[in-house]
Amino acid sequence: MKKKLQLIKKMTRYLFFGVLMQALFIGVLLAHEGDAQVNLEKNEVSMNLKEVYLNVNLKRATLVDLFGEIEKNTDFKFFYDKEILNSKSKYSFNGELSLYDLLLEISKESELHFKQVNKNINVKRIEKDFIPQLVLQESTVTGKVVSNENPDGLPGVNVVIKGTSQGTVTDIDGNYEINAPSRESILVFSSVGFVSEEVVVGDRSVINLTLQPDITSLEEIVVVGYGTQNRADVTGAISSIDGDKINSVPTANVSQALQGRASGVTVINNGSPGRAPTIRIRGLGTINNNEPLYVVDGVITSSIDGLNQNDIESIEVLKDASTTAVYGSKGSNGVILITTKSGKSGEVQVNVNAYAGSQWTTERFDLLNTDQYIQYATEAFGAPPRLTDPQYASLLQNDTDWQDAIFQSGVIQNYDVAVSGGGQNSRFRISAGYLSQDGVIIETGTERYNFRANSNFTVGKLKVGENLSLSIGKLRPELNNGGRSAIEHAIKMAPYLPIYEPGNLGGFRGPNSALDGQDAENPVRVLKLGNVENNLLNIVGNIYGEFEIVDGLTFKTQVGTEYTTFNYNSITPSYDDDVEGGTHQSDHAVIAKYNSKLQSVILTNSLNYRKTFADKHNLEILLLAESTSTEINNLNAQSWNFLTNSVEQVSNTNSNVTSTSSEYYRLGYLARINYNYDSKYLLGVSYRRDASSRFGKENRWGAFPSVAVGWRISEENFLVDNSFISNIKLRGSWGITGNDNIPEYRYSTGINSNFHYPIAGQDALGATISGLANPNLKWEETTMLNVGLDLGFLSDQITVTAEYYDNESDDLLMPRILPISSGFNDGTVIENVGSMKTKGFEFTLGYNDYEGDFKWSALLNMGTSKNETLDLGENEFIDGAGFENENISRTAVGHPAFQFYGWQFDGIFQTQEEVNNYAGGTQASNLNAEPGDFRIVDANGDGVINADDRTFIGNPFPKLTYGLNLTATYKGFDFDLFFNGLAGVDVYNTNIYDLEGMPRLFNSGVEVLDRWTGPGTSNTVPRAGGAPSNTQVSSRFVENGSFARLRNISIGYDLTSTINMLNGKVSKFRVYISAQNLFTITDYSGLDPEVGQYTGAQAGTPPTALGGVATNANGQPNVNFQTGIDLGNYPVPKSFVGGVQIQF
Amino acid sequence: MKIFIKFILVWLVFLISFNSCNDKLELTNPSQSSPETFMETAAQVQAAVNAVYANLQTRGLYARHMFFSMDNMAHENAGNPQLESDKLQYLEFTFDASHGAIRAFWESCYRGINKANYVLGNEERINEIPDEQIPQATKDNYIGEVKFLRAYYYFLLVSRYGSVPLITSVPETGDGTPKSSVEEVYQQVISDLEDAAAGLFDKTDDGYENGRASKGAAYALLGKVHLYRGEYQEAKDAFENVLGEYSLVDDYRDNFLEETEHNDESIFEVEYQEDLGTADMWNSDASGEGLTEATFRGQEYGWNDWFNVYPSDDLLNEYEAGDPRYVDNFYSNGETFAGGTVSLPLSRVAGWKKYQNYYKEANENLYSSINFRIIRYADVLLMMAEIENEMDNPTEAINYLNMVRDRPSTSMPNYGTTEMDALYPVGTKGEIFDAIVHERKVELAGEQARFPDLVRWGMAADVLGQYGFVAGKHEVFPIPQNEINSNNALTNSDQNSGYN
Repeated sequence: MKKKLQLIKKMTRYLFFGVLMQALFIGVLLAHEGDAQVNLEKNEVSMNLKEVYLNVNLKRATLVDLFGEIEKNTDFKFFYDKEILNSKSKYSFNGELSLYDLLLEISKESELHFKQVNKNINVKRIEKDFIPQLVLQESTVTGKVVSNENPDGLPGVNVVIKGTSQGTVTDIDGNYEINAPSRESILVFSSVGFVSEEVVVGDRSVINLTLQPDITSLEEIVVVGYGTQNRADVTGAISSIDGDKINSVPTANVSQALQGRASGVTVINNGSPGRAPTIRIRGLGTINNNEPLYVVDGVITSSIDGLNQNDIESIEVLKDASTTAVYGSKGSNGVILITTKSGKSGEVQVNVNAYAGSQWTTERFDLLNTDQYIQYATEAFGAPPRLTDPQYASLLQNDTDWQDAIFQSGVIQNYDVAVSGGGQNSRFRISAGYLSQDGVIIETGTERYNFRANSNFTVGKLKVGENLSLSIGKLRPELNNGGRSAIEHAIKMAPYLPIYEPGNLGGFRGPNSALDGQDAENPVRVLKLGNVENNLLNIVGNIYGEFEIVDGLTFKTQVGTEYTTFNYNSITPSYDDDVEGGTHQSDHAVIAKYNSKLQSVILTNSLNYRKTFADKHNLEILLLAESTSTEINNLNAQSWNFLTNSVEQVSNTNSNVTSTSSEYYRLGYLARINYNYDSKYLLGVSYRRDASSRFGKENRWGAFPSVAVGWRISEENFLVDNSFISNIKLRGSWGITGNDNIPEYRYSTGINSNFHYPIAGQDALGATISGLANPNLKWEETTMLNVGLDLGFLSDQITVTAEYYDNESDDLLMPRILPISSGFNDGTVIENVGSMKTKGFEFTLGYNDYEGDFKWSALLNMGTSKNETLDLGENEFIDGAGFENENISRTAVGHPAFQFYGWQFDGIFQTQEEVNNYAGGTQASNLNAEPGDFRIVDANGDGVINADDRTFIGNPFPKLTYGLNLTATYKGFDFDLFFNGLAGVDVYNTNIYDLEGMPRLFNSGVEVLDRWTGPGTSNTVPRAGGAPSNTQVSSRFVENGSFARLRNISIGYDLTSTINMLNGKVSKFRVYISAQNLFTITDYSGLDPEVGQYTGAQAGTPPTALGGVATNANGQPNVNFQTGIDLGNYPVPKSFVGGVQIQF
Repeated sequence: MKIFIKFILVWLVFLISFNSCNDKLELTNPSQSSPETFMETAAQVQAAVNAVYANLQTRGLYARHMFFSMDNMAHENAGNPQLESDKLQYLEFTFDASHGAIRAFWESCYRGINKANYVLGNEERINEIPDEQIPQATKDNYIGEVKFLRAYYYFLLVSRYGSVPLITSVPETGDGTPKSSVEEVYQQVISDLEDAAAGLFDKTDDGYENGRASKGAAYALLGKVHLYRGEYQEAKDAFENVLGEYSLVDDYRDNFLEETEHNDESIFEVEYQEDLGTADMWNSDASGEGLTEATFRGQEYGWNDWFNVYPSDDLLNEYEAGDPRYVDNFYSNGETFAGGTVSLPLSRVAGWKKYQNYYKEANENLYSSINFRIIRYADVLLMMAEIENEMDNPTEAINYLNMVRDRPSTSMPNYGTTEMDALYPVGTKGEIFDAIVHERKVELAGEQARFPDLVRWGMAADVLGQYGFVAGKHEVFPIPQNEINSNNALTNSDQNSGYN
């Protein structure tokens, strides 16, 4: 208790500190902005080099370092020829300088020519024989050079008469004047960063021109664990996704936006808007929790669902050991690093993004209408009284489309405002966003508010900064009852029943088991009558200080915190769908409230030393210590109310109140050395030691080393001048990462006191031992091998990346299913048993065409993964994913994990003779097969058909995932086409059980009209109510789930210049329309082949607590087993939105 | 060099700053008490005992599958079209080792057993608690309750699955336990029941509370176990302790109503009490955790509700003309009930009345809380009839049979009278046996008695063969496949015969 108090006190202190800092910083920023405003009025140039001050402390820096430093600290970007990169000159600066003075100094020393074009600074060598000349007697041509980005004029463009050395440069407004020797003279307009243009003078005296940008930014900075790297120096497997791409598809969730964007990253949607999708990096690494690690601005967070897409600068996916092992304890499932946007020095900039639209789904099952249903019910099951008793004749006139009743088209809308800017020593960005999406199933949707403030300050050698974000989210999940989805109920409901029955308590109508011979539930009642809201408040922030002790040696300390509250409110009023009987009714309202709170504090101290020796030896050393403490508190309360439906509060009647809490603590030390020789030979070595409170004392510490090497062959002398090949890099890495993703305290056991039994009319409380302790728990380790090849051709116009990986996880932290007979209430004990192997290829191909009016680019990525279970310890296999009292999925040694497992069917017995002759009649004797039932393949070949003939019948994890993005611009227009898909994947379609299973009477698909009714009538749809095996787990329900989907198509138009005619302040004004998921190519017969985990929620059933993972009775994450099983899963909708992006 | 020194210095400083955090790696679970400090107070011992009962309430047992499996397999039930596949499999004898409820049945029993073993493993600790806190008699009663329950769970297991793992202490490792012979399991059951009978309160004792096992319950169960084993003298000896201690209630219906629970005829009941809470009913397949104080029986069997099953013609036809127990057990068209007049759907001639709430409610809901009478005195009398008949005491046997028929509300002609001789003569041992079979079938209809009876009498194949019952196989359930998979001491060769 005392410990907890201390923690709370500490937390409060941190929070107070955070709020105080935030308040202070905003104060400073506001004050500063007042000054900036004055400057702006004086200088009409948006970014005046003389106004931008830098605190520079560089010794013998190369040009590239220097430019990098400037880019890092300002909004400016440098564009330069490749040869400049090879310059061996070194520059030293110290103190505060304006950028203007700095560049002037460099220019003097290096004979470089700088041109500022808005935010771009173009760098060129001064050509020796370039002497601007004025030849007066020739005709004068004047004009204005602009670009799309700078419609007001592009300064500093070289204008040269072709074949001569005569030329000039455009002035600050983009105007030029040149004397052309003849009508045939050709003017060459060139500027670094832009595509050169040649224009014949002809008779014209005014030549205006729009230059197109040549976007080849040579220095791509990649965010890696605890730092950044130049893309060129990267030796690991990292996929970077630009913030723009994340924003291009309107989704309710950042992780959905990752779909199809990075090779080796599989994202599968899971349900109603706002539900997090399943993300798997490089397939399955463990049978246990496969969730990747999320790091937002250096803070490890429990989820990224609350993030606003528009705040994201970039996402980096770390996939191999050399990049993830620095996170040691949690790196084995890959790491998703998110960097949020920060302010840049200069003018205050306001960005407004807004879009609105609609989403819908047109897919429907073809169900029996009332007439067909009556015919089918009568023939197949014998007409229940409802169909024969004349008093119900009028009811049979109804024909309800239950699918239309549960589907709707939903409004989606999103609004964002961000304000950013800063001065020489401080930068800030604050943003606010609102998103709302109504789902395509009624009563589902999500809503979210986001606020974020990022700022940083430089005080001499000290840099401090903070990121703080707050998000408030509300999710209305799809409701179900008894685990049966709304779609399943919509299929099964008798079509003659009306949706509503005003006389019934609650106002809905459902079947009467006896009268209607069926018991489907009215899905509209399930969805509408219950009210479930998941409310999430998420605060993530960090404050850091960075101090340069001596040149190259920096000490950084950071406090990160996450504070999340999850608040679940549910009420299911009393109702009676069946006045004639009691098939679906409740005489009381059920009120449930669950509150969960997670707070974690991450302290990180690091020392970083970066130095270049003898020009070519680039060395960086990082030493780091990190501690994470997390505390989770849950309070669950539920009660019944027999008196009224109008009170949504918990009371003391039939109530159940419990609370739990847990703590988690981690401590880690990291050392990392990156070394490269002349950016040609690259080496990275890291070593992390981590301790986790989740393990017993003896096994707490784990060691996680990694090594990576790289060779940039293209930098070798024999290739450096090759004009075709611009980049060849060969790289490889090896390392070990860890996993401690298990619940707390599993090394010990406790007393469970949640048993009840009535004794003498009173509730007698019961308690017993929870389970079996395992004090020997230790780290699960994944050994990762990665080999990669990066290629670039024609100045990186074409880029290729290929990777091969081979991961093996050992000492898997597996819930070992205890012998059921051992009788423990926790039927599993987590043990380090088993191992698993996953390997695959990844491939990325990029093409950029930046020439001409029509410019386009293409980016293709694909990833494969092949998984094999090597060992499951005591278990030969593990089953999971229940449907109709059977398990669908199995993980077995020698097979990929989580495969569908059941009988293989081979057509339908047409005659009794066939039944008798098949496998010695054993299917008849063992499984009651008769004509009209499915024939089971003798999978084990023993000549007997029985339970042992079950076999592996499908793989729910894709062999190949891919994404293809095509973008193009033409003048003011921009286009975006984005496909993604999965191949080599199976779906277990339980809808078929409902549509054509016919185990008993309920509404079905029209297929049942063509069911087997006698020899030769059907070989695919069996007889009605046939042998139970017909509906047990089998190949009948397994379908190819491969698909290719047009995930996004959009067209935008830049109206900036038009708008500026009215108001010159706008620097960007783009309007666009886009559509998502317009078509999907697939053979799958269900509503949607993208089948993740079913996430429908039952009102009153506690959701998974924060920081927890929903597990089945055996303690295994549900998601692994349930992926790929279509239980009437929420279909991915189509959507159409229109939006506007404004910057001023 | 200077840099290097600074580097190391700073590094050391913050290494040290973290060192104090090492303690934080030592955490204890704040949400649960530790087994090391449990079983030290009266309340704790009481709770540990109470928990053992909870598994009786699970869906694997009396909340759902006990009545479905037994009543369906005995074909006392017939299935309506909407009956779900797993329950249909009982009717058709097509279940296999992967059947979810057959696993839940097994698991419920073993979880109860583990809880019992937990208490029994702490017997010494319990006895160390001063008598002022817990009187010795109460301690003995606790142990008695737990042994009774362990015996009952093992009796369910051995009679439903045959040879099963016999586990009598809380396992300390994840290793499995091999099967023990049927004989060994029965010996454990018998010794537990003998111990229980010695330690338990009598139902008239001050410390006895309704709902708990009593001395009478232990003897009644012991007698039943011996009878199952054909140990007639031992069975009789055990029942001697029960005879006269209980009596038949005047109205047969009072055995199946909520208001008349724990009456003079009732020897042991599985308790349900809806108002205590039912929030976890759907989640409690086997665990017994949470509030599960109701059974689905009313809703599942209810003719005005889910009506998944109805009494089979074979059962209905068993009743002698005018036997009031027909009306006591079944609803017929035109009869009145709390909601008006009975009108049976699907052209059925009868629906279950036994254990239904229609005497006071127009509709069942999911939350029936009529207790199951696991052993009632009429059953004991009929078992005594069987014992006496087997021990060649026909007069006593007929006498016991007639005691049941003389219940005021039943009041049927006695066996041995000319009137009855026309229907069920009792001149020979075999004829008396047939009368016992008949009497048990009508008296205990829908009380999960007939299927085990048919099995132990060796009649199951004759009676149920037409529905798919295979002799040598369906006398027992398959060992759940999950048990074989998770238990490293078992392989598929341990599967019950016919299920491989």
